[in-house]
Amino acid sequence: MTALIEVTNLDFTYPDGTPALFDINLTIRQQEFIALIGQNGSGKTTFSKCLNGLFKPTTGSVNIEGIDTRDKGVIKQMVTKVGYVFQNPDHQLFNQNVHDEIAYGPRNIGLSKEKVEEQVAEAARVAGVSKDIFSEHPFFLPKGVRQRVAIASILAMRPNTIIVDEPTTGQDMRQSVEVMNFLRRLWKEEGHTIIIITHEMRIVADYAERIVVLGKGRVLLDDTTRKVFANPDVLRETFVEPPQITRLSQSLSEYGLPHDVLSVEELVAAFKK
Amino acid sequence: MSEVVVIQDLEWKYSNTKEFALRGVSLEIEENSFVGVVGANEQGKTTLISCINGLIPHSHHGVYRGSVQVFGKEVREQDALELATNVGMVFADPESQFTAMTVEEELAFGMENMGFDLSKIREQLDWVSDITMIGDLLDKSPYDISGGQKQRVAIASVLAMNPPIIIMDEPTSMIDPLGKQFIFNILRRLKEAREHTLIVVEHNIEQLASLSDQMLLIHEGKVARMAPPAEFFDDPAYLVERGIVAPEVTEFAYRLRELGQFSADIHLPLDLDNGIEITKSVLDRQHS
Amino acid sequence: MAAITPSEPVSTSTQEIHTKKMWKTLVGHVPISSPFYQFHPVTRLYLFVFLGVVPLFIFVPEINFLLVLVSMALMLWGRADLRGLRIYAPMVVTVAIFMFTVVILAPGKDPTYTPLHMSLITIYYQPVFFTFAAYWRLMAMLSGTILYFSTNRERDMLVALRAVRLPFVASYVIGLSIRAAGMFMEDFRTIREAEQARGLDTKAMRISDQVKLYVMYLVPLFSIALRRAEEISNALFARGYTVTGRVKGGGQRRDYIRSLYAIRTRDVIAIVILISLFVGAGISNLFFNVFVITDSPLNIYLRGVLNIP
Repeated sequence: MTALIEVTNLDFTYPDGTPALFDINLTIRQQEFIALIGQNGSGKTTFSKCLNGLFKPTTGSVNIEGIDTRDKGVIKQMVTKVGYVFQNPDHQLFNQNVHDEIAYGPRNIGLSKEKVEEQVAEAARVAGVSKDIFSEHPFFLPKGVRQRVAIASILAMRPNTIIVDEPTTGQDMRQSVEVMNFLRRLWKEEGHTIIIITHEMRIVADYAERIVVLGKGRVLLDDTTRKVFANPDVLRETFVEPPQITRLSQSLSEYGLPHDVLSVEELVAAFKK
Repeated sequence: MSEVVVIQDLEWKYSNTKEFALRGVSLEIEENSFVGVVGANEQGKTTLISCINGLIPHSHHGVYRGSVQVFGKEVREQDALELATNVGMVFADPESQFTAMTVEEELAFGMENMGFDLSKIREQLDWVSDITMIGDLLDKSPYDISGGQKQRVAIASVLAMNPPIIIMDEPTSMIDPLGKQFIFNILRRLKEAREHTLIVVEHNIEQLASLSDQMLLIHEGKVARMAPPAEFFDDPAYLVERGIVAPEVTEFAYRLRELGQFSADIHLPLDLDNGIEITKSVLDRQHS
Repeated sequence: MAAITPSEPVSTSTQEIHTKKMWKTLVGHVPISSPFYQFHPVTRLYLFVFLGVVPLFIFVPEINFLLVLVSMALMLWGRADLRGLRIYAPMVVTVAIFMFTVVILAPGKDPTYTPLHMSLITIYYQPVFFTFAAYWRLMAMLSGTILYFSTNRERDMLVALRAVRLPFVASYVIGLSIRAAGMFMEDFRTIREAEQARGLDTKAMRISDQVKLYVMYLVPLFSIALRRAEEISNALFARGYTVTGRVKGGGQRRDYIRSLYAIRTRDVIAIVILISLFVGAGISNLFFNVFVITDSPLNIYLRGVLNIP
């Protein structure tokens, strides 16, 4: 798999002097599904904003598909490579109707009119935003639809990598499954790299392939989901607990149950043996 | 035990919607019990608790039928001050419920409204900052602290007013795992003290199941199920259809019971410790 | 597995509290300890009013310049964050450029004005000196304001307002507005980031387009504010708040936060001094025509040098 984002010795300090990230090294490749986890204040959000150039490294570098984020005037190129979906869709919906909202990004990067329309139609289709609501004002749509419009508006720029900040916060089970299945489809069928920032370990266990655990501005663990959750002692230091079912299985290891189950299905299967 | 909340045939429709949000809710809540409220979004959970704390019908317009009594008195006939005395309310977004410039003022505000005198305010402040562990935050601005700390302040400001009934609407939905753990620990202490009736809406089913005396499922504006947790989770398919999943240990035990691995009369576990215990006993029996 | 107990260290932010020297406020930072806090907030409010209003009675630039120095000295004494002053520098310069450009290019017509012929343009002495005096009056008021906001938190302001018997509702509305403004600014920052994440490069934009952009921000800002307004009014309801400030039992409303501050002898002395100075300056100016522009030594000197009657 080709490397998309290359993070080298990244340090980040806020303009007011608060240090936030220390010596981060990481490679993100094509078509990965990554969960970024850690406590509030661990640097997750700061780090994710370094990954799309919103924040520039204080020292070290972030290289996105060959572009150094510190270079001047690269914003327009970068957004076509990394898309960022904010947690609260209200923060990123500023147009008068759904169509203009989705077309906003493609227009910003200076695409031709036909190209804009083509990408808007495609993004709306993939995100499940019906053409019937194109002329409606985003403010009056239900929250779930506003979130889909927000995602469509990012997809329309056709970024390889899509970062989604807390996709399931405040959503019920069905809505969470819906948005996560949608992200899985973007990953599996459309070939995007998906990075989610989340606190919900059940979601992580069900969807992510790789976990990056941050704590106090450093990368503490970076491995496959299965291996990270099989390591409860390191996790505990970061106040992250594996899913309940994983913990159940781990507590019963003396009976030969595996350390790394990720779902009820897996434990039932192991139990039957 | 006496009932502190009695709801009969409650129907409510917001003036700006076509459908009724609540369609005939009847239930009773016992004094000093812990009721966990679950259900998919938009099914009427928040509307129901708004009927108990009086936001409905006092702050919303709409059609109101049936009766909601708190301590034997109709909510409709109580004013904001009387309701706040009886029912405390913690909202999901702690940030939006702050009205003051420092944490200390935030706590004092509600108590001042209650007409407490200064010595009582001081006494309550000490007690509540101790139980919610915010003693070192009193001097800070509420927007200069972390999300979990904010929610603890929000809970403290309600507790300080000492209402016999406390309602929380998704108190942990906006905070990180450690912050959540703090909140659930506070809830556990409050539950063990048995001095408040707690009504908690929460998506975190694992924590809620082990805390609740009664679980309440609201679906399509009705009470779909109200039962003690072990009984409540005994039909997972019914719950999944209504957008609820049981805690993983509960689901696991249920699945094995269906497969005949666990005997039909086991009590479904609700938390991890319980799950470990039950599974161990089954495994031990198999080995021997 | 051991559950995480509440006694464990919370997060890095709690540790920060103990090392921080400043409190964050909406408009900047205030020191955590300062000799100013030996005075009741109401005394500090009087100082603010004094420094903010007295320049209106004084049109002698030298005295206003001294008032600027007094404010600066007080900031230094009060351990305020002087680095924070830097953000005002562009404003101070811009205002000066603007005022003097206008008065030089469009001085107005008056036969009493004295023209001074420079190599390329003609400037008129009187309006320019008038502007000079007005500029220092403005600077004196500005530095008084900066002093106040870099040594007082929002909470001090509210306590002071209540101490001068502003009705509870009014001080509460002020408090709420300040809070709302804080959230507004936070949202504003996030929205700007969201726009950048959609490929908007503000640095590469023309000024006219940037202005249009601000209009665009209004949509999300207002939709968020609207949703929030309802949440705040619900929160007030749930705390038993009544607009009249009526409390349960119908007794008198106790003001806990105010009770934490006591007015002491030094406050009385400071307030008496401030009020005397204030009244003195006002009376001298209004009734005895003192502190007017013709009293300025610089004015007298320049007129002498330039031979202006």
